[in-house]
Amino acid sequence: MDEFEHRLKLDAQAIRAGISPELRSRIDASLRATEQIRPVPESPAPGMNLWWASSLTGLAAAVIVIVLINWNGPSTVPAPLEQVADRTVPVAVDELQGLYPPWLIKTADFASPLEEELARLQADIERARENVKKDIDFTF
Amino acid sequence: MISDEQLVEESLAGSALAFSDLVERYQERLLRYLLTRSGNRADAEDAVQDTFISAYRYLYSYNPRWRFSTWIYRIAIRNAARQPQGEIRDVDVIADENAPDPLEECIVACERENVWLTAKRLLNQDAYAAMWLRYVEDMSIKEIARALDKTQSWTKVTLLRGRRSLSAELAEGASGAAGRQIYGRI
Repeated sequence: MDEFEHRLKLDAQAIRAGISPELRSRIDASLRATEQIRPVPESPAPGMNLWWASSLTGLAAAVIVIVLINWNGPSTVPAPLEQVADRTVPVAVDELQGLYPPWLIKTADFASPLEEELARLQADIERARENVKKDIDFTF
Repeated sequence: MISDEQLVEESLAGSALAFSDLVERYQERLLRYLLTRSGNRADAEDAVQDTFISAYRYLYSYNPRWRFSTWIYRIAIRNAARQPQGEIRDVDVIADENAPDPLEECIVACERENVWLTAKRLLNQDAYAAMWLRYVEDMSIKEIARALDKTQSWTKVTLLRGRRSLSAELAEGASGAAGRQIYGRI
């Protein structure tokens, strides 16, 4: 302990803090009139019951859903493979063909609009170049 | 000697005598601290009484991981902070503006100024409390932080600043270099 700490301690002791008998009796009286608060023991009642009830309800609901999904009615003998194929392939395939767009389109049909667009862009660039050149000539 | 924590246990078990022992141990220490914080002696005594009542009522919430002194000081500091500072409560007790500081009145007359008077003038309430708990109650940084509800870093910095400014003031009061030697480098 250095000098500074020593002085702090000594000066604290120099503060008169005697407890008067009146103050002591006042404290004792107020303590007698005060009741200690006791923590209420935790009962597992409402919270735990609710937890169990909700868990069991959820479990029961899950079991019911699983049973309903997996229940296919009376068991049947599996059909032969040909019959299954017939059932799965659409009968009116030819009629459906008309609904689809014609697939045999020439490449040029797709490419020509792009080529035209390219030509237009090149023309624009050329015009812009001419304008810039004119502007430069005017300036200098 | 029975420890504070054992007395708390006995008190919780229903022993009024055990809590009375705790009051006996702490009444003077708390009053001394609260005298330096309150506007007058009556307020300080009220704060001491309130502190013990609160401690008794909520004794179950005391965590024995901490020293009892930390816990009761925490309550006392809160009570002191809750007290109206300088509020006039009664026409009969209007304080004279020229009246001496109540702390000054309680200090045994000596030639020099009490350090705690200087500290009260220089430091804010939290810094003052931190200094008191450190140098009078010998609490650790951790305990002070707990009592003041602050972080340990805050406590360290506050103590350092408090000590520096107090040392500077005291060194100025003392004679130049000799004072600086006594109260440490600033």
